[in-house]
Amino acid sequence: MNAIEVDDLVKRYGDFEAVRGISFRVKRGEIFAFLGPNGAGKTTTVHVLTTLLKPTSGGATVAGHDVVREPDAVRRKIGIVFQDMSLDSELTAYENMLIHGRIYGLGGNELKDKIERLLKFVELWDFRDRQVKTFSGGMQRRLEIARSLLHEPEVLFLDEPTIGLDPQTRAHIWDYIRAMKEEHDMTVFLTTHYMDEAEMLADRIAIMDHGKIIAEGTADELKGLIGNDVIYLRIKAPEELRCLKADFIRGCKLLPDGRVRLDVENAAGALPRLFELASSGGIKILEVTYHRPTLNDVFLHLTGREIREDADEREAMKVKMRTRMRMWGRRR
Amino acid sequence: MRVFTTMVYRELKRFSHSRARVIGSIVNPLIWLIFFGKGWSGVFNNPMAASIFGGVDYMTYLVPGIVAMTVFNMSFMQGITIIWDKQFGFLKEILVAPASRTEAILGRITGGAIMAMMQGIIILALSFALADLKLSGVLPALGMAFLVGIAIAGMGVAIALRMTSMEGFQMIIMMIMLPMTFLSGAFYPINTMPDWMQWLSKVNPLTYAVDGSRYYLAGVTPTFGMTVDWLVLGGLAALLAGIAALEFRKATID
Ligand SMILES: Nc1ncnc2c1ncn2[C@@H]1O[C@H](COP(=O)(O)OP(=O)(O)O)[C@@H](O)[C@H]1O
Ligand SMILES: [Mg+2]
Repeated sequence: MNAIEVDDLVKRYGDFEAVRGISFRVKRGEIFAFLGPNGAGKTTTVHVLTTLLKPTSGGATVAGHDVVREPDAVRRKIGIVFQDMSLDSELTAYENMLIHGRIYGLGGNELKDKIERLLKFVELWDFRDRQVKTFSGGMQRRLEIARSLLHEPEVLFLDEPTIGLDPQTRAHIWDYIRAMKEEHDMTVFLTTHYMDEAEMLADRIAIMDHGKIIAEGTADELKGLIGNDVIYLRIKAPEELRCLKADFIRGCKLLPDGRVRLDVENAAGALPRLFELASSGGIKILEVTYHRPTLNDVFLHLTGREIREDADEREAMKVKMRTRMRMWGRRR
Repeated sequence: MRVFTTMVYRELKRFSHSRARVIGSIVNPLIWLIFFGKGWSGVFNNPMAASIFGGVDYMTYLVPGIVAMTVFNMSFMQGITIIWDKQFGFLKEILVAPASRTEAILGRITGGAIMAMMQGIIILALSFALADLKLSGVLPALGMAFLVGIAIAGMGVAIALRMTSMEGFQMIIMMIMLPMTFLSGAFYPINTMPDWMQWLSKVNPLTYAVDGSRYYLAGVTPTFGMTVDWLVLGGLAALLAGIAALEFRKATID
């Protein structure tokens, strides 16, 4: 059985279509990642799957239950770590865990033991009586992960679990995610705009952009969409910049930043031939880089843009500040 | 019931963690009682004034009003601060849980009312040193304080759930809390106000709590009668908490 099944899901905010007809399956026990830039529609999808938003059209089941018709059955089986912090910062770590557990119907010694085990698991047991507002971002994230596991969900949603954290803390959180997946045998649905995160954690990845899934598969399958190696060139050509053509070049693309991207079988063998080709055509090569394809190259290949552009990041921060100030509306 | 008691627990914990709020909520009414109360006590120290204030000295007249005001301010703040839960995500945590939303929001309102009532108890205890109050009136007066707490916390929640930005927050506090306090009869009798003000007073839940607890604590003859006071308070508590619950059931995040 599939843990998540989504068919032709559409979500509109007013006139704006944030999710534009996506379909996918997540198998039981796998870690599935949504990879995409800010504004792709990842959080919106998570909110629909976790019953917080009603889809505009299309349908979804999570853990075998329909998210619209059986929201309570879905809620009992899922855990979620929201993109934005959702702890009660006035309360202590322990109190946050206790309240969550009791809301999910747990109690007594069973709950106490679980809280202790999970707080130890995320290494916050020694800080259990400190108010959450004194915690660092990484500590808050760890507490949220521990909290989401308290009621032993079948399907766990992690919306950008390491956004805004430093590299060390991120690696640390990846360790927890892998360890808890091993221990609890659950399905994990994760969203991220960090390609390394998707690559490190996910069994399968769906690349999302502008509300659509543009590719789906394992990291290797996705990279297979390009070629074996990728070469980036900055060149000065006598005429207008064109794509280079030769039998050893499997793909060529002019990038908006003025560079040329070539997909080749083997960069080491291709480079000498490339220089020959250039000099015979009167082209001056100003800069060469090459590497094995990354998911970013895949994204670039599919969309012509990078997943993470700095402008994107800054824009995202602005959007985030704005949404923080925007309050919740009401269902009509 | 578990969700209800958990939310009550949360309110109590949140309050006990915040020393500034505990102290602030006691100091403010004390300032009113001592500086405002003692200030006017001298002015009203004559038989004419005593007849205006139901035959008791001004301090004794004022205390039930200040206790009700304390409960009112406190419970309104407790209710309206659900806006912070919205802002800082805790509400999503409730909405995504397989828990009764009605129970959750009633728990939050009740927790707020209990906190407010406890502030009222502290002010009342201190007031025995300042005024000539009846010990026998304490329990029924607190019962009224609890109902006001439920009604006003419910009102605060209902307002906050409809707010779409933080911008109106200060304004709502000014536009609702101050007028309701002045219209409640806490500081002066309402029957000498202009008609339109009297009308506003009569739709103000606080008025009935002041009227009723002034009878219990100071022995002043109630304006509306005790049955009316209790019925109105009980009815408003049920009505406003009910509106808050309905609103919360519809709450979503887009
Ligand atoms: N409540 C909302 N009202 C209107 N537009 C929204 C709302 N939430 C998100 N959006 C828009 O929908 C798009 C997708 O947002 P989101 O799902 O948060 O993307 P992601 O999580 O991939 O960054 C964005 O363009 C965003 O601005
Ligand atoms: Mg997001």
